[in-house]
Formats: sequence, C-alpha cells, structure tokens
Amino acid sequence: MRLKPSFALVLIAASLAGCKSKPTEPVVTTETSSAPVFYHVDAATAGSISGTLKYTGKRPTPKLIDISQDPTCVKAHKGKAYDESLVVDSKGDLANAFVYIRKGLEGKVFEVPTTTVTLDQSGCWFRPHVVGLMVGQQLIITNSDPVTHNIHSVAQINREWNHSMGPGDAPLQRKFTKPEIMVPVKCNIHDWMHSFIGVTDNPYFAVSKDDGTFKIENLPPGTYTLGVWHEKLGVQEQTISVSPKSDTPANFTYKGE
Amino acid sequence: MPSPRTLTCLAILPLLLAGCRSRTQDNPVGKPIAIKAPLGLPPVPVPADNPATADSVELGRRLFYDKRLSSDNSLACAHCHDPKFYFTDGLRLSKGVNDQLGVRNAPTLLNSAYMPFQFWDGRAISLEQQSVGPIANPVEMNNAKHEIFLDKLKDDAEYPKMFRKVYGSKEINLVRVEKALANFERTLLSGNSAFDRFQYGGDQTALTPAQIRGLAVFLNPAGGNCASCHTIGPKDAIFTDGKFHNIGQGVSGDGDFTDIGRYHETKVETDKGAFKTPTLRNIAQTAPYMHDGSIRTLAAVVDFYAGQGNSNPYLDPEIRKIHLSPQDRLDLVEFLNALTGDLPPNSGPPAK
Ligand code: HEC
Ligand code: HEC
Repeated sequence: MRLKPSFALVLIAASLAGCKSKPTEPVVTTETSSAPVFYHVDAATAGSISGTLKYTGKRPTPKLIDISQDPTCVKAHKGKAYDESLVVDSKGDLANAFVYIRKGLEGKVFEVPTTTVTLDQSGCWFRPHVVGLMVGQQLIITNSDPVTHNIHSVAQINREWNHSMGPGDAPLQRKFTKPEIMVPVKCNIHDWMHSFIGVTDNPYFAVSKDDGTFKIENLPPGTYTLGVWHEKLGVQEQTISVSPKSDTPANFTYKGE
Repeated sequence: MPSPRTLTCLAILPLLLAGCRSRTQDNPVGKPIAIKAPLGLPPVPVPADNPATADSVELGRRLFYDKRLSSDNSLACAHCHDPKFYFTDGLRLSKGVNDQLGVRNAPTLLNSAYMPFQFWDGRAISLEQQSVGPIANPVEMNNAKHEIFLDKLKDDAEYPKMFRKVYGSKEINLVRVEKALANFERTLLSGNSAFDRFQYGGDQTALTPAQIRGLAVFLNPAGGNCASCHTIGPKDAIFTDGKFHNIGQGVSGDGDFTDIGRYHETKVETDKGAFKTPTLRNIAQTAPYMHDGSIRTLAAVVDFYAGQGNSNPYLDPEIRKIHLSPQDRLDLVEFLNALTGDLPPNSGPPAK
C-alpha cells in the first residue's frame, strides 16, 4: 500500500549508494525531464506591490453570531463572536480580501515554500478567516477546542474532502494539487464556522489586514494582472506594471450601499 | 457391475462416518437448556452441533475465566472482556500477554450470540470458530501451539471430570474447548433496558422526553439515519444489521486507511475501511468507541456522525444522509444512554 513505493525508493537509493565505491556526481540523465526548473527571482531587481482596500458607503455594523447552541463553544470562544464576512473599520478599510497575481507569471515555475500554513479551530472559529498558500504547500489544520469539529473543504477544482477532528486529535496535514480561488471551508457541525483558502501556483498573494493594507514582495519586474477576491463583495482586477527595485501602489475600492 | 457413482459413494462413506463420529463425540451430551432471551432480544440462535447444556455452559464459564488459556498463565478471556466493563476492557486498544498492544478495541461480548459475523472484520462466522483466534494470537493469549494449553487443562484435577460430564468422555481437545466457550458466550445476553421497556414492554414512562426525541432522531432517515445500520426491529432490536460499512472511521489525514477492515477478508476493493456494525446495546458502558477506540465519548461519536464522517472513496452513502441539529445531538446522546440493559445472571467468575 502506501508504504511500498517509498520503501522501494529507499531500497533503490540504498542499493545505488551501496554500488558506488566513492561518492560521485549524481547521475542526472534520467532526472532532467522530470525535475522542474524553478524560476529564480533576482533580488537585485525585484520590486513590490502595496496598497489598501477600501469600502465606500455606510460602515456595516458587525453582526453578532449566535453560538449558544453549543455551550462549550460559548466558553471556548472567550467574548462575543462577530461575523467576519465583511469587516470594515471606521475609516472604511476593508479586511479579509485575498490579493494575488492573476496573470503575468505564465511559464515561470516557483519552488513550493517549505514553510507550513496553519488553520486553527479555536473558540469554534476558523483562524484565520482567509488564508493563502501555494499548490503543494503543507496546510496544517489544528483543533484547539474541547469539542469535535469537522473540516469540510468544499473545493470545486481540487478534491472536495471532509474530515472529523475530535478534541486533542493530531493535526491534519493536507495539500492542494491545483490553483483555486477560493476553496471555501466549513464545519458541518457548527454551521457558523467558515474560512476561505486561496491556492495559487505562485508565491505572490496577500490577505488585507484590519487596516485594509496588503503588500506583495520580491516580485520580478513586469506587467501583471492583480486580482482581488472578497467573500461578500466579489472580485476585481487591475493591470499593474512593476519596475525594478521599486514599490508600486495598487489600491482597490468596493462600493457599498 | 457397480456404476462409477456407487464407487465414489462407497469411497466417501468411511470419510463421512469418520467425520460424523468425531463430530457427535464433541457435541455436548446432556439435556439441552433453553436460553431465555430478555425483553427486547430475539431467540438465541444455537447451532445443531453444539446444543447448550447446563454443564457445557458451566465449563465454558470456567474456561473463560481461566488464565491458563494464555501462554504465560497471565490472562484469561475476561482480561479483555471483563464483566466489570460490560465485557470489554475499557481500553482504547487491548493489551495481551507481555502487555503487547493489539490494533483493535475489544468489543463487548454481550449479545455477541446474535452476530452473524465475529470480529470487526468478520473473519470468524461463529462463536465456536472465533474463540481459537485469541488463544493463538501472539498479541492476545499467545499460544503458538494449542497443545500447550490443552496439556495444562489435562493436568488439572477438575477439567477432565467436567469434560466427561459435558461430552461423555474426558478427552480435552480444541473443538470441545471452543464449543464450551461458545455456549457460555451464548448466555451473555443483555436486554430489558429502558428502551426495551418503552418500545417492547409498553411502559410509556420508561424513557424521558429527551430520550423519546432521541429515538425519533435515531430512526429518522433524514435525521440521524442511525437505524439504517443499527437496526431496530418490530419485535426486538440488536442494533446491528450484521453487515460491514465504511463510515470513514480510521481514515488518516492524507486519506489512507489505517486499518483496511473487511477488505482483509474479502479482497473486494470497496470493502476497504468497512467494519462490522457493532451493537449499540450497553453502549454508555463500553467507551472508548470504534474499532480503533479512537472516540472517547458518546457526544463525540454523535458529533463525528453530525460531521458526516471522514470522506474517502468508499464512504457508505447512508452517512451522507445524516443531518443533526444541536438539539438532535443532545437528544441522541440521551437516547444512547437508555440502551443499558441488565447484566446476565451467572456470568461472573465461577465459584472456585
Ligand atoms: C488481549 C485481549 C483479549 C483477550 C485475552 C481475548 N480477547 Fe476477545 N477480543 C479482543 C479484541 C481486541 C477483539 C476484536 C478483534 C478484532 O475484531 O480484530 C476481540 C473480539 C472477540 C469476539 C468477537 C466479538 C464481536 O462482536 O465481534 C469474541 C466473541 C471474543 N473476542 C471472545 C473471546 C474469548 C472467548 C476469549 C478467550 C479465549 C477472548 N476473546 C480473549 C481482545 C481479547
Ligand atoms: C452506514 C451504516 C451506519 C450508520 C448510518 C450509523 N452507523 Fe454507527 N456504526 C457503524 C459501523 C460500521 C460502526 C463501526 C465503525 C468502526 O469501528 O470503524 C459504527 C459504530 C458506532 C458506534 C461505536 C460503537 C462501539 O462499540 O464502538 C456508535 C456509538 C454508533 N455507531 C452510533 C451511531 C449513531 C448514533 C448513528 C446515527 C447518527 C449511527 N451510528 C449511524 C455503522 C453505521
């Protein structure tokens, strides 16, 4: 089963190592076709994009969510639970928008970061509400609550899956195989729990903070389509030219009622 | 001239006779007793070649509590099927000889007489066939050769007499041990729970309002949908369909099966991750739950179902039909607490 292929690889590796009398250069002939050539960003010329997301119109009053149906959740949540689907501060700054490079990086293959991304369930709440990672990057899902949760990743392009996590269960490790903006995540047990995962094939994405700002760094100079996704307000995009060693501003505004 | 057919018959005859003779010899010889099923349970199925007699049940009981059945005389069947824990061991996974950890949770033996299959993966089809398993299993009683423990029994002062009483001769062999153990297990019946008094005894006050609501959720195909596998019949209930289902328990993070379950027996791809539906009688007394003992409480089991289990290619479609509101979940747990029955009489360790 699962074990066998990796076991076989270990064996092959071991036997290869055994055959060699002294360390030599690895034989690359058969490898070249499969090993991807990763795009290397030149730090000397790389630029960045930064900006702010704004929401015009009346500031939506934070909606209180009733989680009293599960008393353990009430206790674990510590304080009131406010809806995070439209978070705007007093100055009209819009949080929880996913900003990413939609076009302009075609043909470049980026190495998958070895860092992991964590989605925690705590206080019967997914934290963070919006998160991004690359295809193949390790997502770690934890349950810090004294109750059972259930992570239902309602993916359309990736495989949909559903997994139960009891209190104290070991973290769940998952990866996504294809880019997808966005993968909604819910808990089948606590219907107020929602999170959204942005899966990209490049490392250039950000989530707007509470003050509406975002920054995307270490970007090769070029012309890009910058995309924004917001759970309630929909998508927008703009074309942007990034020149070497400079920060290019990019702001977005969503019209409210 | 005899036809070829007659010849074959003649050739087979001695074999048949031999087979029959050894079989009758190993059948209990006394007067069969009627094992009375308590309220809520159907009549106990008894195989023709192993009628339950008072003496065979008593012999089985003695064997069940006898540590000499294990290689180092350290543990009896009751070590993992302890009446104190409603014939389970209360552990996540069982520990055998030398504290070796098994891979599965010990199921209760109460009402196992009704199971068309034994073990989580159904690898034995009768109680008789089942009992040799643990005796030989290295992580249970660890007898590489059955002769070893049989010899220990032969050296005992009482056993040869008891075997003579049960089988008509003092011979002690594996088949006789199996049959006696099975007959004792057939008496481990537990019914007459609050649910039974309500459902089959006409006592409308036996269940609380929350438990009655929980029963409705249990039965509702668009609610708990539990009874689609944990069957409740019109006249009795054993809370299992005796079949194998993949409910998504024991699926690891990356979607692999930590235990292939029924597939082990059938090699049918879609049986991967399927396990025997366990009875739910006495469920409040037999934590932790599932084949791997991974769920600690009934509330957590109900939450597991509320979340519709763990997705995997062979998840039973019935699991996807489960929809439970927070109130349903509370009521279901209350209902499961109403399934605790009476412990059978004469099921504890025999008086010396
Ligand atoms: C070391 C602990 C241990 C001992 C000792 C032990 N069992 Fe078990 N028993 C188990 C476990 C664990 C299972 C479930 C195994 C499986 O399904 O693969 C089991 C399953 C069973 C079952 C099947 C019940 C069902 O509903 O499927 C029966 C019957 C049974 N045991 C009887 C016995 C008898 C009789 C003995 C003594 C000869 C015995 N056991 C000794 C741990 C033990
Ligand atoms: C598709 C069939 C199916 C349905 C529907 C189903 N179950 Fe189960 N149930 C099983 C199987 C099979 C197991 C054993 C699974 C395992 O151990 O991996 C099980 C195990 C259990 C256990 C643990 C038993 C033990 O001894 O460890 C409980 C409790 C339980 N189910 C309750 C319920 C409740 C409550 C519902 C309804 C919400 C339900 N089941 C619906 C098939 C089903």
